[in-house]
Amino acid sequence: MIRIALAILALCLGSAAQADDTITFGAILPLTGPGGLIGTQQKLGIQFAMDRINAAGGVHGHKIAVIFEDNQAKPDQSILSFNKLVDLQHLPMIFTSFSGPSLAMAPLATRKHVLMINAGAQADALAKASPYLLNTLPTLGDEAGILTNWLAKSGKKKAAILFENSAAGISGRDNYIATYTAAGGTVVAQEPSQFGQTDFRPALLKLADSHPDVMMVSITAAVQQMAQQFAQLGAKFQVAGTTFFQDPALINDPAAEGFVHTQLQSKVPPELATEFKANYHAEMEFFVRQYYTASNILFVALDKVLTDGKPVTGENLRDAILSIKKFDGLVPVVFNSNTATVPFDIRIIHDKQDQLLEEIK
Amino acid sequence: MDFFYSYIALAEIYVLLGLSTNLLVGIAGIFTVSQAAVFGVGAYIVAYCLMHDVTGFVPALLLAAAVCVVLNVLVTLPSLRVSGDYFVVTSFGIQLLATAVFVNWTAGTGGANGLPGIPSPDLFGLPIESSQQLVLLTTAGSALGCLAFWLIMRAPFGRLLRAIREDELAVAAAGKGVLRAKVSAAALAGAFAGSAGGIYATFLSFVDPSSFDLDASILLLTMVVVGGARTLAGSVIGPFLLLALPQLLSLIDIPTSIAASARQLIYGVLLIAFMLFRPQGLAGEKL
Amino acid sequence: MLALQLLVNGLVTGCALGVVAISFGLIYATTKLFHVAHAGVYTLSGYLAWSLVGHGVPAIGAMLIAMAAAALLGGLIQGVLYAELERRRATHLVVLIASLGTLAVMQNVIAAVYTPNILQFPLPWSARMVTLGAVRLTWTQILTVVLCLGAFAGIMWFSHRTILGKQIRAVASNPFLAEITRLRPQRVYVTVVAIGSAVVALPGILVPLALGLQPYSGITPLLTATIAMIAGGIGSIGGSFLVAVGIAVLQNMSLLIMPGEWSIGVTFGIFIIFMLFRPTGLFKGR
Repeated sequence: MIRIALAILALCLGSAAQADDTITFGAILPLTGPGGLIGTQQKLGIQFAMDRINAAGGVHGHKIAVIFEDNQAKPDQSILSFNKLVDLQHLPMIFTSFSGPSLAMAPLATRKHVLMINAGAQADALAKASPYLLNTLPTLGDEAGILTNWLAKSGKKKAAILFENSAAGISGRDNYIATYTAAGGTVVAQEPSQFGQTDFRPALLKLADSHPDVMMVSITAAVQQMAQQFAQLGAKFQVAGTTFFQDPALINDPAAEGFVHTQLQSKVPPELATEFKANYHAEMEFFVRQYYTASNILFVALDKVLTDGKPVTGENLRDAILSIKKFDGLVPVVFNSNTATVPFDIRIIHDKQDQLLEEIK
Repeated sequence: MDFFYSYIALAEIYVLLGLSTNLLVGIAGIFTVSQAAVFGVGAYIVAYCLMHDVTGFVPALLLAAAVCVVLNVLVTLPSLRVSGDYFVVTSFGIQLLATAVFVNWTAGTGGANGLPGIPSPDLFGLPIESSQQLVLLTTAGSALGCLAFWLIMRAPFGRLLRAIREDELAVAAAGKGVLRAKVSAAALAGAFAGSAGGIYATFLSFVDPSSFDLDASILLLTMVVVGGARTLAGSVIGPFLLLALPQLLSLIDIPTSIAASARQLIYGVLLIAFMLFRPQGLAGEKL
Repeated sequence: MLALQLLVNGLVTGCALGVVAISFGLIYATTKLFHVAHAGVYTLSGYLAWSLVGHGVPAIGAMLIAMAAAALLGGLIQGVLYAELERRRATHLVVLIASLGTLAVMQNVIAAVYTPNILQFPLPWSARMVTLGAVRLTWTQILTVVLCLGAFAGIMWFSHRTILGKQIRAVASNPFLAEITRLRPQRVYVTVVAIGSAVVALPGILVPLALGLQPYSGITPLLTATIAMIAGGIGSIGGSFLVAVGIAVLQNMSLLIMPGEWSIGVTFGIFIIFMLFRPTGLFKGR
């Protein structure tokens, strides 16, 4: 008990000393556990943005710091971390990811007027979860609709669906069914997989047996394994997915030849990618880019709040983002509501490259 | 302050939940890693009742406790036919089966999406909204549980359970109802776990299967063992300490790329160390 | 044909699962300890092989070295941790928790060193397909069946035809008597865990060869294998292997009649019913 008291004391003193110059934000991400792969990418994205802006002198001369908390994609850990960051560190803004934890923290964000920025999760419920939750990417509903409309127009009338049994995967599946049937297609089969599992063979076999024109995929992990096992089937039907197909390992794998997917428009200038690789010894993958962009959006908002002479609170940061509306970056992001609209592409994986098929405005 | 309140509230919920594992494993000697599943059932029942305006909080809680009593009896029934290590695996199996149901029965549990937006609890109409009030609720709940536990231990029933753990055959030979005692222990444990679940659901205002999986059951077991089995003090110390651990460990300076796994690793090392050097936990009796 | 392909896939997975089951069973029948950390050894051997292959070691060499390393690790866990706990007269529950702690340590060391990303073996031949009639198999699948059946046969032969094997069975059935007749149970325990660990390294490498390496995914196959061990009858090597294959086939074939998400639930459900009516297993131990 004494140790705990001492620890708390240390934290309070520590946070008081930091208060003057550095502006601190929080990030609650899965750094271990099955969500760890994505969470670490997201963390790198934030760190990269933070390092760059600090190297450029910070925002209005203030350095930026981010405190990272590991929630293992669990809602109760997220709540504890949220309260810790808000109460002990008095942070006005927290990065979040994954639908489950974000939904769990949303009521708290509303109550405490803390801005939460989500740049990775896409479950539909996120759009209405809290006025303080801003999503920098559209929910699955919008993205799935673009894909299914395109597929229906291309003459693929029968579809099978492979989806992950998670908040995001199920949301994707439901949206696929709704939009595809509205566009005139029929769903002939659907099979789930578990988040984190890598054996898709039984599900793929069953889906193939229903003889679809196209298989629509709504999974967030192990896409490369899925592709390889699909290739081993020797099946001939089209495979289609969402932004999650934008995975370098997948694109490089010959098994993914011919895969079609929607893609949030996102261009990485080569110099930036090289700089990232030099510092972090990794490719600047999708989630890294997402959170890099989200961090920069935050910094622009922070700049505005400081320029206007207002205190750095969650409410002011949120209002700043919603009033600026349009943000240019790797991804052009527009906030007409608290969920951004982002232009999409339809892309195809061909010859180990992700090539543009069609731009959707 | 909210951070402290949420820490205390969560710890107290786990104290109440831990009493169920302590009762089964420590006192009655029925090994179980499936109490998190029962915890989950309690949570989902209260969540459902409150979200669909079926009843108020207290009646929902009582309903959850009642259902979990029945459920726990059914769940520990196999242990009465098989002993020791067989039941360990059966218990794992029950937990995994329950997780499968939580994740896949979308109509009832919301599936992997969970149930967001659970309303705050109320005391027959009096709302319990702020953090302080929630802590009062959890303190009351866990205090009641501890009192019940303490009374049971002092009663003849408690002595009977301890005797059964020591030497089941002798007790049976002496004509005491071993089966009935075990079933009663399971029933009580169910009540503890179910009500803890109900309070948890309203505290978090969101439930999803990840809070009730195998990892949760194992954490629970660890709380009991580290805190100390078979004693009330152990049941209280265990949850408070284990929930504080990640927070304390986060103060140590570790390079951020491996920080998270490093913490889990230290956690595992602590478990090994405790088992090697202090298996009775901090305040318990030897397992 | 769908059913046939599902059956064959189930048989392949079942062989790998069977080896996990008999390796765990060997350890459990002898030491009576629930060596959950076995899942960690399983996972670690896959990663070790991956590192070796990545550094240019030929596949066979990598496999053998990984198996040896697994044996060493397993032997250490038994000889240092479990033996020490036994000296302090720890109960099975305490050992189980210590084993869980060891598993957590292993998984997180792996995650820290190798990152939590899914890793692939850089062996292109492993994914090439072979068509046998109406069924398609990868070379990995064929290799899995061959090597795992070989391991099964090997363990059977070892257990019944070699002196060490017989000594192990003696210690398993009566440690007290074994102590008196100077069979030295503790030394036997270390040997057994070492052998079991070397054996489990085999599926530990072959399964990720097909499906990719992940730090935290060892516990589910272990639990399923444990079910196979118990349902097959503790001490019955043949029983464990057969039930493991049966479970894998059942899980695959069940897709014909029900949605995939329930297949694991059904497996455990059947097991629980089993425990209620026939807890000693389908086959008697030897």
